[in-house]
Amino acid sequence: MTRHAKERYGGLNRRDFLLRSAVAASALSGAGGLLAACSSSTTAEEQTTPVGSTGAGEPELLGPGGLPLARPDKRVELPLWEDPIESGLEPETGGTFTVYNYPDYLYKKLLKEFGKEYGVKVQYTPFDNIASGIQRLASGAVQPDVMEMTPDNLDLAVAGQLIKPINLDYVPNLAKNIWPELVSPFYDVGSHYTVPYTCYATGIAWRNDKVSEDIAAMPQPWDIFWQAEAYKGKTALLSEERETIGMALLRKDHLDINTEDPALVDQAVADLKELYDICNIKIGDLQYQTIPEGTAWLNQAWSGDMIAAYIYYLPEGTPATVLSYWKAEKGKVPVQNDCFSICTTTKKPVLAHHFLNYMLDNGVSYENFVDFNGYQPPLNEIDPSTLVTDGVVPENLANCVLTNDDFGPDSSQYMTLTQNGQKLWQDGYSDFLAGGS
Amino acid sequence: MYRRWLWPGFALPGVIWLIVLFLVPFYTVLAVALGTVDPILFQAVPIWNPLEWNVGWLNEVVHRLGPGGNLTDVALRTLEYVAIAVGLSLLIGYPVAYYIARLAGRTKALLLILVIAPLWINYLMRMLAWVNLLAPDGYVNRFLTYTHILSEPRDWLGGRPSTVILALVYGYIPFFILPLFAALDRIDQSHLEAARDLGASRFRTFLHVTLPLSKLGILGGAVLIALPMFGDYYTPNIVSGAAQTTMIGNQIDFYFHGGPQPTIGAAITIVLAAFLTLLMGYYLWTIHRSTGQERTT
Repeated sequence: MTRHAKERYGGLNRRDFLLRSAVAASALSGAGGLLAACSSSTTAEEQTTPVGSTGAGEPELLGPGGLPLARPDKRVELPLWEDPIESGLEPETGGTFTVYNYPDYLYKKLLKEFGKEYGVKVQYTPFDNIASGIQRLASGAVQPDVMEMTPDNLDLAVAGQLIKPINLDYVPNLAKNIWPELVSPFYDVGSHYTVPYTCYATGIAWRNDKVSEDIAAMPQPWDIFWQAEAYKGKTALLSEERETIGMALLRKDHLDINTEDPALVDQAVADLKELYDICNIKIGDLQYQTIPEGTAWLNQAWSGDMIAAYIYYLPEGTPATVLSYWKAEKGKVPVQNDCFSICTTTKKPVLAHHFLNYMLDNGVSYENFVDFNGYQPPLNEIDPSTLVTDGVVPENLANCVLTNDDFGPDSSQYMTLTQNGQKLWQDGYSDFLAGGS
Repeated sequence: MYRRWLWPGFALPGVIWLIVLFLVPFYTVLAVALGTVDPILFQAVPIWNPLEWNVGWLNEVVHRLGPGGNLTDVALRTLEYVAIAVGLSLLIGYPVAYYIARLAGRTKALLLILVIAPLWINYLMRMLAWVNLLAPDGYVNRFLTYTHILSEPRDWLGGRPSTVILALVYGYIPFFILPLFAALDRIDQSHLEAARDLGASRFRTFLHVTLPLSKLGILGGAVLIALPMFGDYYTPNIVSGAAQTTMIGNQIDFYFHGGPQPTIGAAITIVLAAFLTLLMGYYLWTIHRSTGQERTT
């Protein structure tokens, strides 16, 4: 009988892992010391801001499996639930190598080349969103070798033993090519489970030939959605509960976008519900297409969307200058980075490591960005000004390009919430999604 | 003995089908709705033993769907959209079914094929086609402005309830027409002739003979389209996208699509199923009564 994926490997089983994590968590909350199984490398200086919205002296917020919740100013080293593979092994060949990712989020040509180089057939299996992707993985419905991962789902994937520890000896491109802030990121100190893939910020995209306001010059640009009566039916928000509610929080200068304060979340939802009557707000994630095509004029959007819009979706005859993008300054703009992880289900763990290294290669990563994806990889080699002079990004969208300085302890990033926090945000978004009377 | 079991035996594949593809999945949803959630992976953990069922999620959903709850409006909106869509399907579908059944003559088969033809194409594909047709510069707006029905293009896709309702009608109306056609086609011509011979006008014949005799077809068609409409979430997503036009299916989809409360999605499904069972029950009761009346006459 085939065992469930998370029981298949040696080392700690999930029960042991939970037990040790719980012990570790209680140790952390009680004494603030290092975790037994789950060591946190948080320093006193980095803990200037309490996690979530808890005040000083309140207990540490814990995520799935009792893991401490990482924040940009609170670095967390995740426990190894098994040893990484040994160094110096030859990559497996033959058969199929499965990459599990968002649809159309990786250049298939590059996958083919990888398969050719290592003598495997590379299969691309898409998921709708990361949460449902993880659910399918956990259920055993898919058995990929590597998968896209987001930092806010990392705790869950590690606690559920869905992803394997990485041996960085196989991934030299990480230290060589990637921004210092993401080589050993706050959510995965030591890069035990992830390597970065792309990065982006959340802001506002609009058609400046349709929207008359100078959004970037407004005292609070997020207010544009609450002044969008003239753009009824042409205004949309991202279909993401964190992004949507987080935007309403930021609009009111609540900079903790990982808050679990019910009053703040409820108020944010109430504010969002005002948009029904103001602009008949729409919800969706097609802004990379609808904005350049002109079927939407004003949209909450990720920075990569507008680069993709320029590269792929701008209709012939429509100049790139009609596209505008705004993002807030550091600390007020949500930044994110996607990652790659090795799935526990892999039958080709060495090759999976090689794949991670391949995706961090300067040439491969850059080609994936400019020839297909539009989402920027965090490469040292990428210079925003060069991207503009080379015509990869038009000058009016230069602010869609991020740099290493956009990340760091004083940046703002959506991260894992406690279970109660997730319920709070989910129910809040459900309330908004219900559409009112 | 052999003969006794022969004819009921033919029902066996259908019974197995019903058990495997309806009862088992339904019980699974029930076990999920009344179950718990894995605290790490947030996967639903069904509880199969009814004695251990946890009614907390179901209570919460009933409360949220009840008066003053935050899902009341979306539930009422769904009811409204489905009621209007079924009503429109009746207005559009009845004349079509009537014509094909009673008046089409030789073209009956061809017309039936034309009614069914859209079903050969995937539902989502058909809806996506409408997105192009209804676009500001799409053929619908071009036609309406060319014929001066509209002075300027209408933003059909700007989050209008009317677009969602019309899309529902378009998507499901063949399923309404087919059982109605079958009911109308089965009406004995002699009944109509008898009515006319007794002096009834065409209209009165229709009102007092055809319409009552096609009631089961109307009900069957209505049930057939209303059930999937209540669970629909992709139609409003595709042709509207506005929060104010979402349906209860969007909430089920949302809660099942990740997060710590898949049980809420299952509980909404159960409440919806209970409501639909009432509709189905009325339909079955009507059939039962009608069959009884036929036997007594």
